[in-house]
Amino acid sequence: MRKWIPWVLLAVVAIATITVAAWPSGGKQSASARAHGLAAELRCVDCESLSVADSSTVSARAIRADIAQRIRHGESDVDIRAYYVGQYGESILLKPASSGIGAFVWILPVLVLGAGAGGLVVALRRWQRTPRLRASDEDRALVERERELDA
Amino acid sequence: MKAALGIVALLVGVTGCVLGVTTLLLGIRRHDARLLHLGRQFVFVVLFAAIVATGAMEWALLAHDFSLRYVAENGSRGTPTLFTITGLWASLEGSILLWLLILGGYLAAVARKFRSRAHDPIVAWATIVGLAVAAFFFLLTLGPANPFHVLSSVPADGRGPNPLLQNHPLMAFHPPMLYLGYVGFTVPFMFGIAALITGRFGEGWLADTRRATLVAWGFLTVGIILGAWWSYEVLGWGGYWAWDPVENASLLPWLTGTAFIHSVIVQERRGMLRVWNLSLVIATFCLTILGTFLTRSGIINSVHAFSVSSIGPWLLTFLGIVAAVGIGLVAWRGDRLRSPGRIDSVLSREAAFLANNLLFTGLAFVVLLGTVFPLIAEALRNRQLSVGEPYFDRMTTPLGLLLLFFMAVAPALPWRAVSGDVLRRRLIVPAWVGGAGLVLAVVAGVRGISPVVAIGLASFAFAAIVRQFAVGVRARMRSNAERPPRALVRMVRANPRLYGGLVVHVGVVLVALVLACSSTAGVKREVRLVKGQSVTVSGYRLTYIGASSSRSAQRSTVSARVRISHGGRDLGTYAPAVSSYPNAMTGIGTPSVRTGLVEDVYLTIVSLPNARGRVTIAVLVNPMVLWLWIGGGVMALGTLIALVPGGRPGRRRAVLADDATPEAAGTPVEVPV
Amino acid sequence: MKGISTRWIAIGVAIVVAVFAIVLATQVSTDPRAAANRSNLVGRPAPKFDLPAFDGTRVRLAERAGKTVVVNFWNSWCIPCRQEEGALRAFQREHARDASVDLVGIVRDDSTSTAGAYAKSHSLNWTIASDPGSSVAVKFGTRGQPETYVIGPSGVIVAAHYGPLTVAELDALVARSQGVQ
Repeated sequence: MRKWIPWVLLAVVAIATITVAAWPSGGKQSASARAHGLAAELRCVDCESLSVADSSTVSARAIRADIAQRIRHGESDVDIRAYYVGQYGESILLKPASSGIGAFVWILPVLVLGAGAGGLVVALRRWQRTPRLRASDEDRALVERERELDA
Repeated sequence: MKAALGIVALLVGVTGCVLGVTTLLLGIRRHDARLLHLGRQFVFVVLFAAIVATGAMEWALLAHDFSLRYVAENGSRGTPTLFTITGLWASLEGSILLWLLILGGYLAAVARKFRSRAHDPIVAWATIVGLAVAAFFFLLTLGPANPFHVLSSVPADGRGPNPLLQNHPLMAFHPPMLYLGYVGFTVPFMFGIAALITGRFGEGWLADTRRATLVAWGFLTVGIILGAWWSYEVLGWGGYWAWDPVENASLLPWLTGTAFIHSVIVQERRGMLRVWNLSLVIATFCLTILGTFLTRSGIINSVHAFSVSSIGPWLLTFLGIVAAVGIGLVAWRGDRLRSPGRIDSVLSREAAFLANNLLFTGLAFVVLLGTVFPLIAEALRNRQLSVGEPYFDRMTTPLGLLLLFFMAVAPALPWRAVSGDVLRRRLIVPAWVGGAGLVLAVVAGVRGISPVVAIGLASFAFAAIVRQFAVGVRARMRSNAERPPRALVRMVRANPRLYGGLVVHVGVVLVALVLACSSTAGVKREVRLVKGQSVTVSGYRLTYIGASSSRSAQRSTVSARVRISHGGRDLGTYAPAVSSYPNAMTGIGTPSVRTGLVEDVYLTIVSLPNARGRVTIAVLVNPMVLWLWIGGGVMALGTLIALVPGGRPGRRRAVLADDATPEAAGTPVEVPV
Repeated sequence: MKGISTRWIAIGVAIVVAVFAIVLATQVSTDPRAAANRSNLVGRPAPKFDLPAFDGTRVRLAERAGKTVVVNFWNSWCIPCRQEEGALRAFQREHARDASVDLVGIVRDDSTSTAGAYAKSHSLNWTIASDPGSSVAVKFGTRGQPETYVIGPSGVIVAAHYGPLTVAELDALVARSQGVQ
C-alpha cells in the first residue's frame, strides 16, 4: 500500500489545484466579460470565419457596441442571441444550436469516439483471451542463427 | 510561344503517364523485366514535362507576358520580382503546376531509390498508381484549370496578385511547404495500394516508404505552422488559427498522417494493424484531395476563398474513384490481411499507440464534421448553419488533453507489457513535475480547467521525455564509460527514430503550452492617440510618435509609428501600416508585432490619422506566441533527427515470411539485442 | 482476429463515404454566398433611422411614410457598387418627378469624407446619408455592400437584394412594393 502514497498525494494536490482554477471567480460575470463572450459566439458578417470579438471590421465593431448597449439595457444573453439570429439568420451563430439537425454536430463525435473506444476495449478483451503463440524449436533455431550472424 | 511550350509539355506529361502505366501493366502481366525497366523511365519523362511546364509559366510571369490569362490575372509590371515568382502559386491553375512539379519530383525520387527493384511487381504497381495520380492532375491542367489559356486581347498590364499575397516574403514558403507535405503522402499511398494489389502485405511496403512518410509529415507540419505564422503576422486580426475551412483542410491529413506514423511502428514491431494502416494511408491521401476540393471548389466560404472554378466536380469524381478503389481493395483482400498479432497487456506501448490512433482519428472526425456540417445542413434541411471556433475549441480540447496524457506515459511504456510497479516507479517523478506545473499555473493566475490541466499535462510530458533521455544517457555512460555529451550523441545516432520522435514531442508540448495560455486572457484595447500622446496597456507604455507615408510603384503605405517601453526600458519603435494597392480598393492592414519571450505586443491601425491627426490603434497583448514558432522549429528538428540514417545494429528482424503468401506470414520473430 | 469480417466494415465505410460524396455533389453547383445572403428582414417593419445627409439635412424614414423608399447601402471603394452606379443614376432620373418613390443612399464601411468626396465627384445626386457607428447597417442586418432594401408605403420591407442591381430589377422591385404585380 505504501507504494500508492505518493500517487494519492499527487492526486489530492492535483484535484485541489484544479478546483481552485475552476472556481467561478466571484459573483456575476462583469458586463464586459459578458459582452466579449457573446461577441465570441457571433460570426463577423463581412468575414468568413472570424468572430465578432476577433474581427476589426466596421460592422463587427458596430455589433460589439450594440451588444454592449443591450447589456446595459438589461437584455439577457438569450435575448441578444435571439435578436441577432432574427436579423441575420442562424448562420451568425458560430456554435450551432442544439435543435434539430444542429444537434448532430455535437452528438456524432461523442458517438463515434464512444464506438471507437468500445471497439478497442472489446478487441483488447478478445486478445487477452486468445492463447499466446509459443515459439517452436524451429523458431528458436532461426533466432540463434541470426544472432550468430550479427555477432 | 510560352503557352505553346507549356501546353506541349503538359501533353507530353499526360502521354508519359499513359504510356508508363500501359508499359508497366504489360510488363507485370508478361513478367517481362525489360518492360518494367522501360516503364519506369516514363517517370522521368513526367518529371521533365512538369519542369518544362512550370518553367514556361515562370518565364511568362517574369517576362510579363500578359497574353496568358494566368499572367494577366496574377502578375503585373509593378509587382516586385519575388512576388512575380511566387505568382506561380498565387491561384489555382499555377498551383496545380506546382503540385505536378512536386509529384514528379517524388515519383522520380522513388523510381531512383528502387531502381534495383524495378522488376519487383510491388514497385511496378506503386509506380502505376503514382503515374495515374499524375495523369489526373495533368488532365486538370488540360481541362478546367488550364494555366496556359491565351487571351484574345492582350492587356497592357496585368492585375497583379491579390495584395494579401504580396506583402510578406512568407508567400515564398508557406504554399510550397504545404504542397511538399500533401503530395508526399502520395508515396505511402502508392505503395499501400501496390501492397493490396499484389497481396504482399507484410511490412515491406512500410519500410520502403517510411522515410517518405516522415518527410511528407515534416513538410506538412512546417507548412501548417507557417500558415499560422502568416495568419498572425500578415492578416492582422491578432490570432494564428481561426478554424477556417481551408486551415482545417490542411489539418485533416496531418491528423491522420500523425496517427499513421505511430501505428506504423506497431505494425513494424508486432505485425499488427495491417488493415488499419492501409486504411489510414488511403484515408490520408483522400483527405489531401478532399482538402484541395474544399479549398478550390468554392463550395465553402473561406478567407482563402479563391475564385470559383469548375474544378469541383472533377476533384470530387477523382476522390470518389480513389475511395472506391481503396475500399474495394481492402474489402477484397481484407480477411487475408488479418495478422495473428495481439496486444498482451493494456500497459504496453502498443496499447498507448492504439489510444493515440483513436484520439487522432477522433480529432480528424471532429474537424471534418465541423467543416462540412454547413454543407450537410444545407443539403438535408436547407438550413444555414455556421460552425466556428467555439465548436472546435470545445470538441478538440478534451481530445488534445488526453493526447498530452498519453504522450507523457507512452515513452515509459515498453513494448508488450510492463508491471504496474515498474510503470509507477518510472512515472512518479515526471508526474510530480506535472503536479508542480499545475500549482505554478494556478499561482501565476491561470484560471479555467482546460488551460491549467493542459499546463500540468504538458509539464508531465516534458519531464517524462527528459527522463527518457536521461535514463538512456546514464545507461550508456555506465556501459561504455562515455561522457554525457558523447553518450547523448551516440545514443541518438543509435536510435534516431525514437529520439527524433521524442524531440518532436517536445515541440508538441511547447505548442500545447501556447494553445493553453492563449485561451487565457490576452488583453485587447483600442486607443485613440494624437501625436506625442501616450497610453499604458498591460504595463507597456505606448507613445504615438507620428504617421509617415511611403509610396512605391506598387503601393502606397501609411504607417503609424509607436514607441513601446516597458518598465522604463525602451523596446523600440513599431509601425503598423495600411497599404493601398492599385487593384484593391480597400486598404490592406499590416500589423506590427513586438515579439517577447513571454508575450507579444501586437499593433494594428483601426483608423488612419484623421484631420486632427488622431489615430486609432488596436493593441493586443498576446501571451507566449513566440513559443509556438519555437515549438514548430523543434518539431522540424525532431523530424530531421528521425530521418538520420542508421539505427541500432542488430535490430534486424528475422521476419519469417514477409513477401511470401499470406498464409505463411506468421508473427515476425524479433531478434532481441 | 475473428469478429466482424473486414468486408462488412468496408461496406459500412463505403456507404458512409458514398452518402458524404452525394451530399458534397449536390452542393457543388450551389453558391454558398447566395443562400447566406438572403435577408431575414423581408416582410418585417423597416428599422427607423435618422441620419445626417451630405447636404446637411437629416434623413428620417418616418418622414417618408406612405412612399416607397429604396435604401441602398454602398461605399466609395467596393467594385460592385461602382457597377451599380449607372443603374442607380438612371433610376433616379426616371423617378425624379415621382413623389411616391424615394432613393436614399447610406454609406457603409467608409469614411464620411471619402464617401462624400466620391459622391460629389461622381454626381450621385440623390439623398445620401452617413451612418455614424454603423448602427443602421446593423439594424438592417446588412452583410456587405451594395445591399438594397425596398420599403413599401406601409413601412414594411418588401424586398432585399445583396449585390449590384440593374434598372430593370430596381423597377420590378418598386412595382412589387406598390402592389402592381
